[in-house]
This record gives sequence, C-alpha cells and structure tokens, in this order.
Amino acid sequence: MAKTYDYLFKLLLIGDSGVGKTSILFRFSEDAFNISFISTIGIDFKIRTIDLDGKKVKLQIWDTAGQERFRTITTAYYRGSMGIMLVYDVTNEKSFENIKNWIRNIEENASADVEKMILGNKCDLDSKRQVSKERGEQLAIEYQIKFVETSAKDSLNVEYAFFTLARDIKAKMEKKQEASNPAPRTGGHQLRANEQQRKPTSWLSRCSLL
Amino acid sequence: MTNATIQEIEGIDDYWGPAFRSVYEGEGHEAFVQQLDERIKQHDKEIEKLCNFHYQGFIDSIRELLKVRSHAEELHAEISNVDANVKEATESICTRADELIRARRVELNIAATIEKMELCLPLLTTYSKLKTQVEAKRYYPALKTLEQLEHVLLPRVGPYKWCAQIAGDIPRLRQAIQDASMADLRDFLENIRRLSPQVGAMALRQTQDLLGRSLASIVKNKKDMAVLGIAGKEPIGPQCPHELVDFSPLHRCLHIHSVLGAKNDFIQYYRAQRKQQARLVLIPSGNLHDNIQSVKNYLNAVLGFFILEEYLLSAGAGLVSKDWLLDTWSMSVTKVASTLRTNTSLITDPTLMLSIKHQIVLFINTLKCYGLPADPLPLLLQEMAEHYTEVLMQRWVVVFRDILDNASFTPIEVETQDQYDGVMDTFPYEGEELETQPFPRKFPFSSIVPAVYVQVKEFIYAWLKYSAGLGLGGSRRAAAARHSASLLLSRSFTGCLSALFRRPLPLMQLVQIIVDTKYLEDATLCLYEFISNITGSELVTTQTAGSMFQAARDDAEQQICDKLEKKVDEFLDLENYDWLLVEPTGQASSFVTDMLSYLSGVLTSLEQLPERARVAAVRAATNRIATRLRNLLLEPGVRQISSGALHQLDLDVIQCEQFAAGEPVPGLREGELLEHFASLRQLLDLVNGWEWSSYLHDVGIDGGKYALVTPRDAATLLEKLKEAEQKSSVFTVLKKNERDRRKLLDTVLKQLKQLQNQDGS
Repeated sequence: MAKTYDYLFKLLLIGDSGVGKTSILFRFSEDAFNISFISTIGIDFKIRTIDLDGKKVKLQIWDTAGQERFRTITTAYYRGSMGIMLVYDVTNEKSFENIKNWIRNIEENASADVEKMILGNKCDLDSKRQVSKERGEQLAIEYQIKFVETSAKDSLNVEYAFFTLARDIKAKMEKKQEASNPAPRTGGHQLRANEQQRKPTSWLSRCSLL
Repeated sequence: MTNATIQEIEGIDDYWGPAFRSVYEGEGHEAFVQQLDERIKQHDKEIEKLCNFHYQGFIDSIRELLKVRSHAEELHAEISNVDANVKEATESICTRADELIRARRVELNIAATIEKMELCLPLLTTYSKLKTQVEAKRYYPALKTLEQLEHVLLPRVGPYKWCAQIAGDIPRLRQAIQDASMADLRDFLENIRRLSPQVGAMALRQTQDLLGRSLASIVKNKKDMAVLGIAGKEPIGPQCPHELVDFSPLHRCLHIHSVLGAKNDFIQYYRAQRKQQARLVLIPSGNLHDNIQSVKNYLNAVLGFFILEEYLLSAGAGLVSKDWLLDTWSMSVTKVASTLRTNTSLITDPTLMLSIKHQIVLFINTLKCYGLPADPLPLLLQEMAEHYTEVLMQRWVVVFRDILDNASFTPIEVETQDQYDGVMDTFPYEGEELETQPFPRKFPFSSIVPAVYVQVKEFIYAWLKYSAGLGLGGSRRAAAARHSASLLLSRSFTGCLSALFRRPLPLMQLVQIIVDTKYLEDATLCLYEFISNITGSELVTTQTAGSMFQAARDDAEQQICDKLEKKVDEFLDLENYDWLLVEPTGQASSFVTDMLSYLSGVLTSLEQLPERARVAAVRAATNRIATRLRNLLLEPGVRQISSGALHQLDLDVIQCEQFAAGEPVPGLREGELLEHFASLRQLLDLVNGWEWSSYLHDVGIDGGKYALVTPRDAATLLEKLKEAEQKSSVFTVLKKNERDRRKLLDTVLKQLKQLQNQDGS
C-alpha cells in the first residue's frame, strides 16, 4: 500500500486562552479565518501535508485549550510532540508574560529535544498593540528559540512559522540519523518499512551494506 | 154690282183674291176704276178737312213748345249755377271726408296691430326668460319654459317669420340643454370620483368609532363635552358620509332627461359610466405593498364608490337598482380581493401586513353596515394570515440566524446574582440545585436557549396581533398560535439549525446544540401556558411537541458521528505499518494510542449529551476503527504481510478492544462495542493460531469459533502471509517443518478457494 507521506511530525500549539491558537491552525489547515471566538474545549487536531525539500511531510498539529481547567488533558499531549508553537497575543501583555510559564510547562512535560517557536499573534491589530516586536525578539533570544510575529486574520507568517518549525525538526532528525548511521534508524517516524516496500532495491542495498 | 165689290174689298181685309177674281172675270172694269177714283177723291177731301181742323192747335202747340224751350234754357242756366255753387261748397267737405276715411282706416289698422302684438308678447318674454334660464344653467325650468313655448305660445301666435325662427331654435336649445346637463353630469361624476375616497374614509372612521365604542369611552366623551362647555355642540359638517357629495346635479340631470323623455337612456348612460368608474377605482393607483396609505386610499375609494351607489339606491330615484348594485359589487369585491391578494403576497413587512389586515377588517365591518356582502374577503384574511405567518417566520429566520451566528454555543456562566436573575427571568429553568451554588454559576444551556425562547414569545405576540379583531374565539386563537409557534420552532428554527450544520462545527458546539434543543423542547409547555394566558383560553397540555427538534438533533448527532469517524480516519491515515516486520515492537503503534486517548478525551467531554447520542457516537467511532483496521489487512495494495506485522496489528487491535471493553460511555450493552471487532479478532486469531482444521470443519455452521471469517477473507490474508514467507526465504533452504507448513498452507488455500467457489456458485 502506497504511503502518502515521508515524515510525520506531531506539533503542539500552546498559549493563553484567546491568543488565537485555533485561528492560526484554522488559517494553516483551511486557509480561512473566522472572526467569532469559540473557545477550544479540551484538545483537537488538524492534519496538513506539506512539501519540504521534495519530501512529503505530514503535520499533525494539536490545538490545545488555553484555559486552566483543561491543563491536565493538554499536558498529556506534550510528551509525544516534536515541535511546540508558543503563542501569545501582541495586544495582551499578560499572555506575553505567561510565555515563560508555558516554557516551564514544556520543560516539565515535553521531551528535552523538542523544537520550539514563539509566535506573537494578532500583529494586524497595531493600534491595540501592548507588546513590541523587540520584546518578543528579546524573549526569544533569551530562550534561544525562533520568533516570528503572525496574523491569522491577514494570513501573515503563519505558513512561514509552520514551515520553519517543520524544517528545523526535519534537520534535527536527519542529523540524528546521520549520527546513528549505519545503525537502524530511530526516531520512529521515518518510514523505513515504507521505503523498503516501495523500492525493494533499497532494502536489498541496505542488506548489502550490512 | 161694282159697289158691292169695293165694299167687299174694304170690308174684307185679308182675302182680296175672290174680289180681284170677280173684278177680273166680270165686265164692269171701267165702272170699277171710276168708282175707285171717286173713292180716292172722297178720302182726299176727308184728309183735307181733317188737316184744316187741327191746323190751329198745331200752330199753338209749336208756339207753346218754343216757349218751353226758352224756359228750359233758363232753368238750365239756373241749375248750372246752383250746381257750381254746390260744387264749390262741397269740395272741402269731400276732402275732409277723404281724410276722415283714411284716418279711420289707420285707426283700424293700429288696433289690429296692437291686438296681434299683445298675443306675441308672452311668447317673447318667455323666450327671453328661457334664454336667461339657460344662461343661469337652470336647465330644468328652462326646459319647462321651452315646453310652454313650444306647445302653448307658439301655436297661439301665428305664422310669423320670427316665430318660425324661434320654433326652429327650440330643438337646438333643447339639445344644448341636454348637452349642458350631460356636462354637469360629467362634472358630477368627476366630483364623486374625487370625493368617494373621502366618503369611504369617513365611513371607515365612523365604523372604527363604532367598534371602539365602549362604555368608558362614551363616558369620557361626555365628560370631555362637559368640560368644553355647551360649545361642544358643533355638529356642523356632514354627519353621514354621503352628505359629502352634492347629488343635485345628478337629480337635475335625471329630471331633465325624464322631461326629455330619455330617462332610461340616461339611467343606462349613468350606470355605464359608473361601471367604468368602478373599473378605474378597482385598479389601484400604485403598488399596494409599499405602504399602508396606498391600501387605505384604495379601500377608501372602493368603499366610497359603493356607499354612494348604495345611497342612490336607497334614495330611490331609480338610477341604481338593487340588482345592478349587487352585480357591480360582486364583480368589484372579487377584483378587490384578488388585487389585495396579489399585492399582499408580495409584502415582507409584518407591520404593514397588520395595518392592511386592520384596514380590511374595518372595510368588512363597514360593508356590513351598508348591507354589502363581504364574501371573499374573510377568506382573503385567512390567506393573509397564512402569508403573515410566513412573513413572520421569514423575519424570525433572520433573527434566529443572527442568534445562531453570534452564539458561542457554550453554557451560560453568570458571575452575579443580577446576571443569574436576568437569565431566570427570561427562561423558565427549574434549577434548584443551581440556586445554592456559589458564583460563578453555570447553566447547562447556552445563551441561544433564553434568546430563542424570548424570540418565540415575541413571535407569538406578533402573531396574535394579526388574529386580534378577527372575531375568533380564545381557544381557536390559542390553538392557531400554538400551531404557528411549533411551526416556527420545528421549521424555521430547525431550518436555521440545519443550515448551521452545513458548515463544520466544533464537536463541543454540536453537543451544546443538542443539549440546548432539549431545554427548548421542555420549555414549549411554558410557551403554551404563555399562549393560553394571553389568549385567555384553557391550557392545553395534551399536545406536546416532544420531537420538535428531533431532526436537528439527529443532524447534530450525525455530525458528531461523522466528525469522530473523520478523526478516526485522520489517525488511520497516519498508519505506518511495516508489513514485513520480523519482530513486533512489543508496544502498540503510536497512532493507535494517540487515537484512543483522543477518543476517550472526547467521549468524556460529551458527558452532557443524551445517552443515546453518546452511544451512537462511540459506536460509530469503534465501528470505523474496526473496519479500517480490517481493511488494512485485506487491502489488495498490501501484497505481503509477515507474521511479525500481523502480531503488531494484533497488538494494536488488542489496545482497541481494551478501549471498547472499558465501556467508554455508559448505556452500552455489555461487550457491545467488542462486537465491532469480532470479525477482525476471529480472523487474527485464526491466522495467528493456525487453527485451519477447526475452521474448515466448522465453516458454514452458525456460532462456530470463526463463524465471522469468510473463506475469501481467510484466503486473502493467507495469500499475503505466503507471499511474505516466500520472500523472506528466497535464499535459505527450507527446513522440514517449514516445508510441512508450506504444504499445509497450500492445502488450506486450496480448500478455501473451493469453499469460495461453492459460495460463488
């Protein structure tokens, strides 16, 4: 059976309630925007396949509820994720300050080598801005995380953010594979079986290498 | 002898013949001539003697005659003289006499003339009177005068030339009068056309006053009058609608025509004209669906028209007959009804509908006052009621859509007592346990429930406004209101909900909608109570709309199921089995664990759902998982499956079975969910346990251990296993037991193929 992808990355969106995590995801997965705010309950996910350097990469993006009462449900999903988007709202100072708490949360619950990225969302609302881009950059540098300001409404930098995170994860994974080469590749999500099946020669060539 | 003969001659006068004969025949001729001479001498002597004797007298007479002659001359002169004198004297007298004669003749002439002139005079005065009357447009007297002139005066006068002229003028005048009266009639017709809306308006106003008359208002009016003083008596101005119109031109015209002997023609003409006018009146001057004023104008005009006709009927001049009026009316009322029907069907403004309905009711009541049958109009009101309900429903569709568009579909949370009371005031919720809870309190329903409830009440108010004044009983109104309200909920609101479901909704919102519809359904009893309160009828509890939103709920439940199935599909699309796996990893595949934890998370958050819906959801999800996993195994795209891979899949299925056995939601039959995996489980067990002999033995027997495994499926999977084994042993020499296994495998496959063929044939 032909596989539809080369890599599967699990990504997670976290941040305070109302910063626009669902909107970002909606923009990325459906390329649409809905002004009305419906708060996420518990957890949900969307899947989008992107093309990255000629590889089909499937992104399973988990959208979590920002509200405190769902914290126990959502933290369970930290462990399996390979990339985490930390989202704050540039018009909401508190959500920016909480990014530190969210990072602590990641450190406690996620695997150590998870790729992270900070998103300052709602950058279209310049008149209501409370957090400058510089402060965002500053924070990102402090934690050695990439940062970008986005607007789900104007479709600004959303694609860029996900592609960047995905590319970083892919690079990290390939690096790890090289390091462990020629030992059986780990990482679990690169589809060895798949490749063998699609191209039996590759399996044979691997045998001869062994 | 000769003597005798002379004697004889002398004696006999006439017969001389014989004497002469005797003379002639005798002889004595000389004697006889002698005697005759003697005789002659004797007669001469006698004549001489006689002359001598008379001579003297003769001379005397001549002398005398001469004397008379002179006397005569004298007399002649004298007489001539006298004559001249007389002549002289009588000459002037004669002149005078002549003059006298002439004067007498003139006198006689003058008298005759005066006499004649006196005869003519009335004719002329009448004629001039006629002229003035015509000029003053007093046509009827003029016509009378004309009559007199023609029949009395003219024949009396005689054949004068000017009389002839007047006589010749008479038909012309008569025509002129007729024309002028016709012109008056046209003016009148124009006039009543202009006035009839006012007439109608006044009649409607009077009906309204009459209808609105109650003891209180009469008392109030009296009091007002008293306060204003006696000056309140000002009933100047018309009291009856028809008094607005001056009918005299019409009556005059009618009289004129009756005088002219054209009454019937006139009546025909009048009716034809009015009929034509009626046609004009019946065509509304503009759109009736834009504003109430045009409807009012239209109804006023129609009503005014017929009030005037009705008045003419009762006035009894014969212009309008009952039959004609009713005939025209029935033609008109049908037209009115159809015009109103066409126009009202375009209206989308309920307020306008109400106003129009009010006008029609008033119209009908006024018609009754004037004895005109209102027949198709009550039917029209009923039809309009239906349209009104439609219009209202369309209105409320917008309202509902608005409510739904702006709804968050999250339970209402209140922070303060005021907010709490606010919700409790708008919606009948019996939440005693909520009363005691600390703030913030959370209602089980979302904001759409009170909002929709309030809107349904508003709808009922609006709806009842129409039925007011139609003379329906309270219970009939209540029943109709209940019907409309449930129609609104079951059609409009449910329609809006269905429209809502057309775009994908988040799961929780779907859940909330299901919960909300339950609360709304429970509240219908309160709506009925509300209806019976405002209509003053008895509460009807028998008719409960238990499944009003069932369709919407079914939609929502279906969407929940679809959503879960879609999520399951998304997870299964992430499947990455290595079908040639040598050793299973010992743990379930990550997509399976992710999926199961996601599912149990979702199912716990579906707590509020009715049990039925949750069971349906979990059934759909597990069935989908089982089907997809089974399809993975049997899919033709996968050519080979190693027993390692089979074990890995078995591990994953075990995970799913654990999930299913764990009763993720209450209300399931024991082991019910496991049944979805049963056929997959049997297939896996059969292949992993290698129990072909018992399978082949039991095949076709109900209740066997592998009863759910079809020979085809078993064969398909076995082929794949065989392929994988052949591949892994390309280079190695088969051991004996492996050779046996291969042999068995071939036998089983053969048997299975046979079974398949039997089934096929």
